[in-house]
Amino acid sequence: MIELQNITKMYRTLAGPNIVIDDVSIKFPRNKSMGILGRNGAGKSTLLRIIGGAELPDKGRVIRRGRISWPIGFGGGFNGSLSGEENCRFVSRIYSQDVDRIVDETREFAEIGNYFYEPVRTYSSGMRARLAFGLSMAIDFEVYLVDEVTAVGDKLFRRKCRNAFADRQERASLIMVSHSIETLRDYCKQCAVLEHGKMTVFDTVDEASEAYDEVLAA
Amino acid sequence: MRGLVSQAEIVFAVLLRETRTRFGAHQLGYLWALLEPMLMIITFFVMFAFIGRQAPDEMDLIGFLSTGIVPYVLFMNSVSRVAESINGNKGLLFYPHVQPLDLVYARTLLEFSTYIGVFVLLMGANAIYLQEFNIDSALQIVFGMALASLLGATLGLVLCSLALFSNFVERARGPILRPMFWVSGIFFTANQLPEAARDKVLYNPLLHCVELVRGGFYPAYDAVLADPYYVLMYILVFATIGLPLERHVRHRIEVG
Repeated sequence: MIELQNITKMYRTLAGPNIVIDDVSIKFPRNKSMGILGRNGAGKSTLLRIIGGAELPDKGRVIRRGRISWPIGFGGGFNGSLSGEENCRFVSRIYSQDVDRIVDETREFAEIGNYFYEPVRTYSSGMRARLAFGLSMAIDFEVYLVDEVTAVGDKLFRRKCRNAFADRQERASLIMVSHSIETLRDYCKQCAVLEHGKMTVFDTVDEASEAYDEVLAA
Repeated sequence: MRGLVSQAEIVFAVLLRETRTRFGAHQLGYLWALLEPMLMIITFFVMFAFIGRQAPDEMDLIGFLSTGIVPYVLFMNSVSRVAESINGNKGLLFYPHVQPLDLVYARTLLEFSTYIGVFVLLMGANAIYLQEFNIDSALQIVFGMALASLLGATLGLVLCSLALFSNFVERARGPILRPMFWVSGIFFTANQLPEAARDKVLYNPLLHCVELVRGGFYPAYDAVLADPYYVLMYILVFATIGLPLERHVRHRIEVG
């Protein structure tokens, strides 16, 4: 269970404070995946980082219960000078996991061949996403925070990601941000739209999609 | 999540990762840690020979220089490594149970153990060269090194938090700390200074650390002027500023 209470987040810019999240309160129910739609720069990734605890809000409170993943994206949590394997080892250690098992499972899932042993900074964004996704799948989280990541990669990899989630639907849910309705529809039932710092929740992706289209047209 | 993994485990994991990124990136690896103080020692060795200056009566020249340079380098590197710990490691904050302070602890420990190792190697090699090994108090040496390390780390913590307000802090760090090179006893001891100069230089807490290390190493050298409480006071002041400041500015850290 994750709950946001009156979250406000602003960034200082040259033009003055820019309020990215404006007094957002929402409850993410257990075992129900939620998509969040928004334009580029609408604050989706910021919101995900606040949910995950990587950034602190300026106001408000985040309540987290259960094992929650870091925001899985293009490898923001990886150290570029370390290899994929070394990064996996590190993450396994801080999550108290069996290091060798995690390394093996991630290597198998990511399918990046010998690049697994090369520094992450040499990876393409698709390869980073594969590593990040494989690693998070190897660790048993109850809530996965996913930042666009599944939109990259080829068809085969996207299918693999979907299957991996389908397998654990019973025990895990996800919060996924994206600007692509198709991706969200694959994974989520409920969906919210983030615009001008405010969030509106809809019961289906289609309703959210309609509202989103209006936002885009405006 | 934090409850499941002890903080010690996290600091240890960060420490391992830091060791790889600190030393694995260079082709010279660990050798670099040894090379930096060695180059300084060689430079001073040549300079001393050139102007005909000698080590203080109680000491040999290489040992005299090493006991000054190693704590100095430990201090300086602790300041800069800790000051850069958050900016250089934002990716780590993706994992919320890794707190910014864990990075500070890990980096402090890594610098401390690295330069203890460097000290042992340098003094060991010197002892073989001199065919003589006499050490007054290993405990006092470690104590002096620990004070230099904590002094640097707590100062680095203050600078690290201030750097989130203005990047001027990061740019000013080098120039502001540069005078430390001249007043930390790298090429003099407190005992051999004239009284007027000595009183002034002893305001520098790092000199006290160097004095403790020298007094701990040389049975014949008595570090009567070293005052560990004076250094501890500085550490305490830096920590009381730095720790709450870190909490206060934490929400300013932008990860993405």
